[in-house]
Amino acid sequence: MKAQRVCLCLLGAVLLLCSVGGRSLRGCVVLVDIRRMEQSFQDIKTAIQARDTLQNVTILAVSEALHSVKPFDVCCMTKNLLAFYVDRVFKDHRELNPKILRKISSIANSFLYMQKSLQQCEQTLCHCRPEAANATRTIHDNYDQLEVQTAAIKSLGELDVFLAWINKNHQETSTA
Amino acid sequence: MFAAITIIIFISGRWDLLALLLTLFSPGTELPSPASVWFEAEFFHHVLHWTPIPNSSESTHYEVELLKYGTNLWESMRNCSQPRMLSCDLTMATLDLYHRCYYIAKVRAVDGGQRSNWTVNSTHFSINEVTLTVGGVKLEVYNGSIFGTIHPLRPKMAPAADTYESIFTNFREYEIEVRKVPGQHKFPNKKVKQENFSIPIAEEMGEFCVKVKPSLSNRINKGLWSTEECIILVATQQYFTATNLTIFFTFALLLGAALSYCLALQLYVRRRRRGKLPTVLVFNKPTPFILISQISWPETHVTIHPLDEEAFPKVSPELRNSELHGSTDSGFDSAKPSLQTEEPQFLLPASDPQAKETMGKGAPLELENNCSSGCSTSTDSGICLQEHSLCPSVEPHWESQPGSNSQGEDDSGIGLIQKSEGQPGDIQGGSALAYTRSLRPEVPSEDDSTTVAFQGYLKQSRCTEEKEAKAECLEEESPSTDSLDPTCQTCLDAEAGWPPPALAKGYLKQGAPGMTLTPSGTSVEQWKHPTEEWPLLGLTSCGDLGTSDWSFGHVLAPLDRVVAPGGLLGSFDSDLFNQQLMSSLH
Repeated sequence: MKAQRVCLCLLGAVLLLCSVGGRSLRGCVVLVDIRRMEQSFQDIKTAIQARDTLQNVTILAVSEALHSVKPFDVCCMTKNLLAFYVDRVFKDHRELNPKILRKISSIANSFLYMQKSLQQCEQTLCHCRPEAANATRTIHDNYDQLEVQTAAIKSLGELDVFLAWINKNHQETSTA
Repeated sequence: MFAAITIIIFISGRWDLLALLLTLFSPGTELPSPASVWFEAEFFHHVLHWTPIPNSSESTHYEVELLKYGTNLWESMRNCSQPRMLSCDLTMATLDLYHRCYYIAKVRAVDGGQRSNWTVNSTHFSINEVTLTVGGVKLEVYNGSIFGTIHPLRPKMAPAADTYESIFTNFREYEIEVRKVPGQHKFPNKKVKQENFSIPIAEEMGEFCVKVKPSLSNRINKGLWSTEECIILVATQQYFTATNLTIFFTFALLLGAALSYCLALQLYVRRRRRGKLPTVLVFNKPTPFILISQISWPETHVTIHPLDEEAFPKVSPELRNSELHGSTDSGFDSAKPSLQTEEPQFLLPASDPQAKETMGKGAPLELENNCSSGCSTSTDSGICLQEHSLCPSVEPHWESQPGSNSQGEDDSGIGLIQKSEGQPGDIQGGSALAYTRSLRPEVPSEDDSTTVAFQGYLKQSRCTEEKEAKAECLEEESPSTDSLDPTCQTCLDAEAGWPPPALAKGYLKQGAPGMTLTPSGTSVEQWKHPTEEWPLLGLTSCGDLGTSDWSFGHVLAPLDRVVAPGGLLGSFDSDLFNQQLMSSLH
């Protein structure tokens, strides 16, 4: 009787640790208001996307690259895309309209906050596998094939895609 | 001509003019393009809209093409190229919208051989463009609250696996608005995170309308208010529940049973009472509306028997003035003077017919003349007492009819009329009636014909053998307690010095215990003295009573109280006396 009780207690402890660790193994917890960013982009979406004349070309909306990412690569992929937008897109875009510039700056600041939050995660918790590295390389290659201004405007126009992807992957993971 | 002009512009190097010329005269570019193209989408209902071109004709139609964002293949929507169509349902072509796909659509006008340029929708058509709606709201009222159920939209074009709940798994919200009708009073909006909600409406009645707007907390999708669903809240709805109705009917049954039991009990009691009720007490139920003249008193049969005057013996004048007249049995004061000259109510039958005539005529007149003035008008008992001094001539004496045994019927309260004749008739002839004789030892007056009316009841004890004893009593002035009849002894003892009892007219008063009678047979002289001393007392001598059977006794007073001086009365045979009384009464 006592041995059985001990075994049951150990099993319960292991299961508890696994449930807690599973969340941490999948990725870091990012606490950000995605809906506010989406609302900010919604306000400038028409103006930004209207400037995109190349409808048959996409940088992010590639099913193989973004939507084929596995749950374990979500953390790495999120970190790489945040770096892409902060280091290349926001810097290459020249916005003359102050209203649009304000909205873009708000989104950029939110991306910086998210990037710092992910950098605090342990490397083991946000490890990049080759699949995630390949997907990130594809996106950069697509960005490089276009003119800088066109690529930048197109990347800004695809922010709704990136935000929807973040909303889906990270919130579904936390509620699971 | 057109070619020559083109060559000239080309040689001159004016390329802008050349482009303008080619644009104006190029085929299919004359039509303007639609000004704007946009999507209006609800859940699984995606419609592309465009503005018409100016100066369009009836043959003008539009071509629509759709591109999935990130691909190079534009798909032409041929069902949208109908003439005069300004919108097109592209739901079936955009089912992947809810699976992270974006669409771009473009439209151009076509009229005959002319086509316009393409107009591309300005924004990418994505899931964020879908306006959220609900299928319907169902309301119920329970326990003073409104319970609602929200039914999500179920579009026919949506695949079976693509439901609202499956696509928007989390963060679904609904805003609820309640409005009371009539009026525009709105309750504060309530937000719920599930499809079931309740709104407490405490103690309010009326019609309430509810509408719902869906939303997603993690998305920026817009929501549309549903159509209002109204429900009427009535007070009876709260009360007419199964439980309340059951309790009500239970109490009604119990009350009916109690009432029926009470009615049955009352009927049973009434029947028993009617069985025991004497018939003489059963009265007819009076009718409520009866005139006064018609009121009939309960009939009580009263039979009045005329008094047979002949049945009553004459009363000697001596008896009228006997001491018993002052008896308190009837409530009269024994010290009162004896009554005399009272109004005669009844005339005793006289043995002498002449006396009868005299009685019938003179007596009342004399009585009225002589005695009416001194008559105390106490008529409660029908007895009128009078002073002897006022009517000295009236000396009633008892007189009985020979063989009359009905003297005892004085018990019926019939007053006897004294006969004033000097001959005292036989009061009784062996009658059982007992008469008290409080007589004055007076000689009957000269007016023997005067009759004195006895008003009231006179009851005296009688002796069965009075005649002989009385004779001896009268003749022998020395009483012998042993041999004499107790009545005579009493008479003699009374003669010894007892105050003569007042004359009883009609009703002889019973005096105090110890009262005795005086014999009427004594000499007048002996009795005169008492009369002088007690002028108010009318006593008849024993001699007056000699010829009449008289016996005395206290009829009303119990025999125990009658203690004769010297114990004469005490030596009465009480049993005999009682027997005589009883027989007289019967």
